[in-house]
This record gives sequence, structure tokens and C-alpha cells, in this order.
Amino acid sequence: MGKLQGAPGDDGAAGAMVKAEEISLLVDGELDVERIEGVCTRLRDADSVTTWVCYHVIGDALRGSSAIMPGFAARFATRLAAEPTVLSPPRRGPAPAAIAWAAAATVAAVSVVAWVAMTTLPIGDASLPAALATARQAASVRAADTRPAVDNEYLLVHQEYSPTTAIQGARPYLRAVAATDPNARP
Amino acid sequence: MRARRTPAASRRRLGGWSRPLGAGCRAGLVVVALAAVPAAYGQDAAAWLQRAAGAARGLNYVGTIVYEHGGRVETSRLVHLLESGSEFEKLTNLDGPAREVIRNNDLVRCYYPDAKIIRIEPRSFRNAFPSLLPQQLNALAAHYFFRKGELARIAGLETQAFVFEPKDGLRYGHKFWADIASGLLLKARLLNEKNEPIEQFAFIDIQIGAKLDREQVKPPFSSLPTDWQVRESPPGEVQPQETGWVVKDLPAGFAKVVEGFRRLRGKSAPVAHLVFSDGLVAVSVFVEPVPPTPQPVGLSQQGGINVYSRQLDDYLVTVLGEAPGATVRQIAYSVAHR
Repeated sequence: MGKLQGAPGDDGAAGAMVKAEEISLLVDGELDVERIEGVCTRLRDADSVTTWVCYHVIGDALRGSSAIMPGFAARFATRLAAEPTVLSPPRRGPAPAAIAWAAAATVAAVSVVAWVAMTTLPIGDASLPAALATARQAASVRAADTRPAVDNEYLLVHQEYSPTTAIQGARPYLRAVAATDPNARP
Repeated sequence: MRARRTPAASRRRLGGWSRPLGAGCRAGLVVVALAAVPAAYGQDAAAWLQRAAGAARGLNYVGTIVYEHGGRVETSRLVHLLESGSEFEKLTNLDGPAREVIRNNDLVRCYYPDAKIIRIEPRSFRNAFPSLLPQQLNALAAHYFFRKGELARIAGLETQAFVFEPKDGLRYGHKFWADIASGLLLKARLLNEKNEPIEQFAFIDIQIGAKLDREQVKPPFSSLPTDWQVRESPPGEVQPQETGWVVKDLPAGFAKVVEGFRRLRGKSAPVAHLVFSDGLVAVSVFVEPVPPTPQPVGLSQQGGINVYSRQLDDYLVTVLGEAPGATVRQIAYSVAHR
């Protein structure tokens, strides 16, 4: 994994702080199920939220999102702290907690990276390209890749042409049906 | 569904694959490989596949299937009947919320009793495995080592294992166990590059040539209760035509099977659909117009199927198939306007 240099919360602070790596894993949907709740609980810490949001929006910011909303992370943290913990155990279906969280953060927090950049970088300074390069590197592990739910319509259509469908009868249909929540569809 | 993130290593490999030099080398290797392939190889592999496909379609059987993927195990009951040239199939899951899939030839109905929803899907499975063309045989031979495996007893029957081992990292490995008497596959396993199972179907009991009747493949009720919702997908296969989209850096061994537009439920505009196959698996490319707002993108996985979505201007490109994440990603990133 690329190192997210300069990301808030990535300063190795131990204890109750969420590690940047844990946040990255969570954002990527790779965090062990047992650890999700703990990490989410500790995410109520403002710096952790900034890191979380940073992972999400850095790619968006690089692609030109420019709306600046100073103080967003702080407000986000406050709102988050006020939310009841609603994380439920992992369930079948296309909306694991990580996706919902990622989507919420992405939708809500498009410009925090721009804000972080604005407040920490003298714009026009020669260090900007280097900072952008770092950001670009971070973006390669970025969470702008929010996990999409598999589009079942596509999956079903694909089966028609898959040779494995033919040699295994309707069994590949299990894939389509196993994970389908009919209510989660458009 | 289990979401998955592409490790850095895959990204680096991807970068290598997408270099023109890499593509040229691959093309050269393919030519060499093709020239060196004994004709018997492809025919032997194809004979097993054709026999399996024929058996899946043409035999009557009833059995219990265990489907394992991503650490999950699901058990289903399958009944398959061929009567007067008509195919009937009923798949019922035995754990979790009840689901039932009933297929009659090209019409598939999915029942979701908990949600009181029925989905009706016109599907055309005839496209899936036509007689293998010579170039597909060549592709199989060029990109997979084929070998017979062990004799094994599965669901009480004697089977012959056969293995397609990929020659590169662009595809998964496949191991099949076919009933020696009928050719029907009793077990199928998808393997990643570390030879670890990703997905497996296996019968744990089966009666082949069972005496079956229509009663065993009928829907759960003859007329739909009024409080059920019907969700019907638009009919229609892909009408072959140029879509204006092209995959510039197609992984070696994949050839286009079909290209056209199709209407899909829940999509207002027709969706471009291109299918590529290496003779053993297929990868689909879908391109649909979307509003210029950020779309969910990235890699996800469902069983042995990897899906990669990316936004390309005002279009959402989605690539999916029984291929490694890096492969669908490579294809997704080489989709371009013709």
C-alpha cells in the first residue's frame, strides 16, 4: 500500500487513536469484520475523521473538485459523535457497512482535501507540485474507489454468454441469486 | 458480496501489461504457442467441455449442491428435466432467506418470498456455449495447460478430474470433476494464482437419469398472490451492431464474441454490451450513459466474478467476468471511443 504522507492522523499516535492503516482498510472494505465496530467507534475522534475523509476525497479533489468548506471535518466529527451507533452485524446483501459509510463520506465530504491543502500549503509555492505528487500517490490507494455493489442486472445478462453457465447448467445462477436483495435495486 | 481492493502488486503488474512492448511480446508468444500446440490438446479439452455442456442440458437429474465462495457456504436443491425438447430447471436454496429460481428454456423466474417479489428474466442460454470454433480451441490451448487429473468419488459417483491451468496471470485456474458415465460435472472449482479455491460448486448427492415430472419443477404457486410485485426485465438479446466502443488493450487470448446494445431493467437508455471470451470464461463490458455526477467505481467481487467500474466522461464502464480483478480492471481502463 502506498504511504499516505502528511495525512492527518498518520503520525503514528497509538492508544485509542485509529491508525491510518485501519481507516484505509475500512475504506477499502478490507478490514476484518471483528475490527469494524471498534474502528468505527474510535472514528469519532476528529483527527481520525479527517484521515477517513482524506482517504475518500483526495482523489476527487485531484480531479478538480474545488468547493471549499472550511471546518467540514470538525462538523462531520460533531455530527458523527451525535449519531447513535447503528452498525449491525454483517448481513447478506449488497450493502455492507463499509459501502454505506464510504458512500456517505464521499457524498458529504467532497472538499476536505482541498481544504486541508489550502490551509497547510502556501498556494503557488514551489512545494505544491511535490505535495500534489504525494497526494497523487495517496490517490492511487484512494478510497474514491468506493466499493460499488455488484449490478445484478449485469451479472444476470453476463451469465447468458458465460461458457461456465453452459457447462454447469443453471448453477452459476446461484451467484446471482445468492447475493440478491431484490429491494436494493433501482 | 465481498468487496476487494486491488493490492499494490497487482497494480504494478497491470502497469506492465498495459505497456505496448508487453502487448507485443505477448502477441509473439501466442503465435509461437499456437504453432506448437498439438491438435489433440484442444480437441481433448473441448471434448470434455462439450460433453459436460450436453449432459447439463440433456439429462434429467436431481441433487443437492453446495456452493462455497468467499468463506460462505450455501446449499441448494437442483432439479433438471428435459421433456419433449423443453428444458425445465428448479433451483431452491436451502438456507437463508428462501429463494427459488425456475427456468423454462429461456425464461427465468426468481421468487423472493420474504420480499414478495418475483423477477422475470428472459434469458438466452443458447449463446453461452456454441460448438467451439477452431480459434477458440487455439485460444484454450494457447492460454491454459490442460491435463487429466485424478479419479475421484463424488456424491457416490466415479468422476474424472480435469484441469485447466492458466499460463499467465490474466485468468483463473479451473478444475472440473465429471461423472464418468454421463459427463455431467459434479464439481467445479475456480482457483486463483496461488492455487487457492475462490469458488466451488459441488453436488453432495445426485440422481442422474432420475424419473422426474413437471410437478417437480413447477413454480411455488400457480397464480401469483396479488400482494406480490412483479419485476420484469425487458426481453431481447443483444442486437449485434457496432456500439462505438472498443477495448484497446484486450488481454491475450480474449476474442470478441458479441457486440451490441440491449435494454436492461432499471436503465433508461440502451446499454452497450460487448462480450469477450478465451474459450473457457467470458468477460462482459457494459457502457451506459450516466449523469455527470460521481458514480460508484472500483473493484468488487462476487464469488468467482470480479467487477470493475469506472467513469469515463458521461459514461459508466463496468467490466465483469470470471477473471482476476487485475484482468477486468485492465479491460475497464482500455475501453475507449472507437
